[in-house]
Amino acid sequence: MARDKIYLEEIFPSPFMQLWSIFRKTPVAMVGMSCFLFLIVLAVFGPLLAPHSPVEGQLDMLLLPPAWHIDGNVSYLLGTDELGRDMLSRLMYGTSLTFGLSFIVVIISLVIGVIIGSLSALTSGLKSSFLNHFLDVILSIPSLLLAIIIVAILGPGIGNTVWAVVLVLIPQFIHITRYAVKEESRKDYVLASRLDGAGPFRILYYSIFPNITDRIMGQATLAQSAAILDIATLGFLGLGAQIPLPEWGATLANGLDLFYIAPWTVYLPGLAILFAVVSTNLVGEGIRHALKLRKAR
Amino acid sequence: MLVFTLRRLSLFIFTMLLLTLLSFSVNFLFPGEAIINLSGAINATPNQLIELNEAYQTHRNIFWQYIAYLGHIINGDLGLSMASQSDISTEIVNLLPATIELSLVALLIAMLIGIPLGFIAAIKHNKPTDNLILSVSMLGYSVPVFWLGLLAILTFSINLGWFPSAGQISLLFEIEAVTGIQFIDILMSDSPYKWQAFNDASAHIFLPACVIAVAPATIFIRLARTSMIEVLDTSYIRAASAKGLTFRQIIFRHAIRNALIKIIRHIGLQFANLVTIAMVTEVIFSWPGIGRWLIESIYQRDYTAIESGLLVLSCFIFIVHILTDFIYAALNPLARGNKYGA
Repeated sequence: MARDKIYLEEIFPSPFMQLWSIFRKTPVAMVGMSCFLFLIVLAVFGPLLAPHSPVEGQLDMLLLPPAWHIDGNVSYLLGTDELGRDMLSRLMYGTSLTFGLSFIVVIISLVIGVIIGSLSALTSGLKSSFLNHFLDVILSIPSLLLAIIIVAILGPGIGNTVWAVVLVLIPQFIHITRYAVKEESRKDYVLASRLDGAGPFRILYYSIFPNITDRIMGQATLAQSAAILDIATLGFLGLGAQIPLPEWGATLANGLDLFYIAPWTVYLPGLAILFAVVSTNLVGEGIRHALKLRKAR
Repeated sequence: MLVFTLRRLSLFIFTMLLLTLLSFSVNFLFPGEAIINLSGAINATPNQLIELNEAYQTHRNIFWQYIAYLGHIINGDLGLSMASQSDISTEIVNLLPATIELSLVALLIAMLIGIPLGFIAAIKHNKPTDNLILSVSMLGYSVPVFWLGLLAILTFSINLGWFPSAGQISLLFEIEAVTGIQFIDILMSDSPYKWQAFNDASAHIFLPACVIAVAPATIFIRLARTSMIEVLDTSYIRAASAKGLTFRQIIFRHAIRNALIKIIRHIGLQFANLVTIAMVTEVIFSWPGIGRWLIESIYQRDYTAIESGLLVLSCFIFIVHILTDFIYAALNPLARGNKYGA
C-alpha cells in the first residue's frame, strides 16, 4: 500500500477556514453570498455600467413604464420617473450609495468597535462596570431614533447620515467584542500562552482574534442589514440623501406622489432594498448556521 | 424579590441620570444658544432672558446647570416648542397615549402570530414546515417598513377599500379625550354611537398595527422556535414522555409554559425596535402620535422638541424594559438572583 504521506503531519485549518468549509456546503448561504458579491460589484462599477445619467432627465420620456409593459421602451428597461430619469440607472447608482455606503459604514464601525471592545475587555472593576451600564443605556435607545437625533445635530445630508449610522453601530460591536474576548480569555489555550509569558496585546492578537473573527463577522452582517435599512429610512424621511441623489430610500420617497399613476417608481427601489437586505441576511444566517455546526463538532 | 427590586431601582435611577445627561448635553451640540434650545423661548425679551438664565442657572458651572435642568424636568417643564411656542409637556401628554396604544396593539398582534408559528416550527424541526416558516420570517424582517406600509395602503385602502388609510378615527365621531387611549375613551364615553366609533377606531388601527407587527413577529417566531427546541431537548420532557403522556399533553402542559417564560424576557428588548418601526409607520399612516411629531420637529428644526422627544421616548422604552424584567422575575423564580440559598 502506497503511503503518500511519510511524515504524519496533521494540518489544522484555522477557525475561519473551518467555518468556510461548512458555509460552502449550504446552498442557500452560497446563493446569498453570490448576490452579496454581485451587489458589491454593482456598487463599485455601477456608475460605469449605467446606460443613462441618474440625474439628467429626458423630457420627452416622462413616466415611461418598464419595458415589459405595452407602452414600455426597451432602451429604458425599468421605465422612467416623472422627470424622465431612467430608473435602471438610478437604481444602479443607488447601489453604490445605499449598499456601498452601508458596507463602508459597517467596516468603519467594526474597526472602531472592535478596538474599543477588546481594550475594554482588558479592563475590570468600576471602569468596566460603568462602561457596561453605559452601553446598556445606549443599546436601549432605538437605533433609528439615535440616528435621527444625530442627524438633527449634524443637519440632513448623506455624509451626516453615514456618521450617524456609524455612531449607532459602534456600541453593538463593542458589546459583542467585549463578550467574545472575555469568554475566550477564560479558556485554557489563552492561559497556556499567558504562562508562556505573552503580554495582553500579544494574546489578543495571536490567540484571541483568530477565534472570534467569525462571531464578529456574524455581527457585521446583522449590522449591515440594519445599516441598509437605516440609510434608506433616513433617505425616505428626507433626513438622509438630498433631492437629486439616487439613494434608494430617497428615490422611493420621490415616487410617492405618483404612486397610483406610476407604481414602478415605488415598487422598484423597495424591491432593491429588499433584495440587498435579504442577501445580507442569507449570508449572516449561513455564518451563524456554520458556527453552530462547528461548535457541535 | 426585595434585592431584585432594589437592584432594578438603582439601574433605573442610573439610566435616568444618563438619559437626562444625554438630552442635556444635546442642547449644547445643537446650533444656537444652549439656553434658547433648553427653554425653546425664541422670542424672549431681554427681561425674560434674564429670568430664564436665572432659572437654568447659566451663570454657575455646568454641574449646577444640569441640576437646574433636572429640577425643571421633575417639575414637568420641558420648555416651549420652538415652532408653535406651546408647552411641550402638554403636547407630549396628548400624543404619547396614541403611540402607546398603537405599539401595544402591534405587540399583541406580533405575539399572537409569532409565538404559535415559532412553536409549530420547533415541533416540526427540520421539516418542510419549519423551513417554510423560517424563510417567511427572514423575508419579514428584511422588508423595509415604509415600503411595506405603502404597499399595504395601496392594496387594502385604495384598491380594495377595506381599511381607511390615515388617522386614528373618523372625524364624524366626537370622543372626549380622558385617558388619551382611544379605545378606553370610546368605551367610557356616553355617545349613542359608541359601537360604531369602536368599529371605526379598530378599522383605523388595524392596518398600521399589522405593518408594525411584521418585523417583531418574525423575531418572536425565531425566539419561540429556539426556546421551544431547547425545552423539548430537556430531561423533564423526556421524563414526561417516559411517564406515558401523549405528545399533545407534553406540549400543552409542560413545554409551552417553560418556553413562554424565556420569550417574555425578550419582549422588553424587542420593544425598542418596535417603537422605532412605529415612528416611521406613524409618518406614513398620519397617526397622531409622538413619532410623527418628533420627525416633524426635525423638519422644523425645533430643537427643544427633539431633545424632549428623545428623553420621553427613551424613558418610555426603558420603563417597559424594567416592567418586563419584573414580570419575568415574578414568573420565573430562577431569575430573581438569590440562587445561593436565600
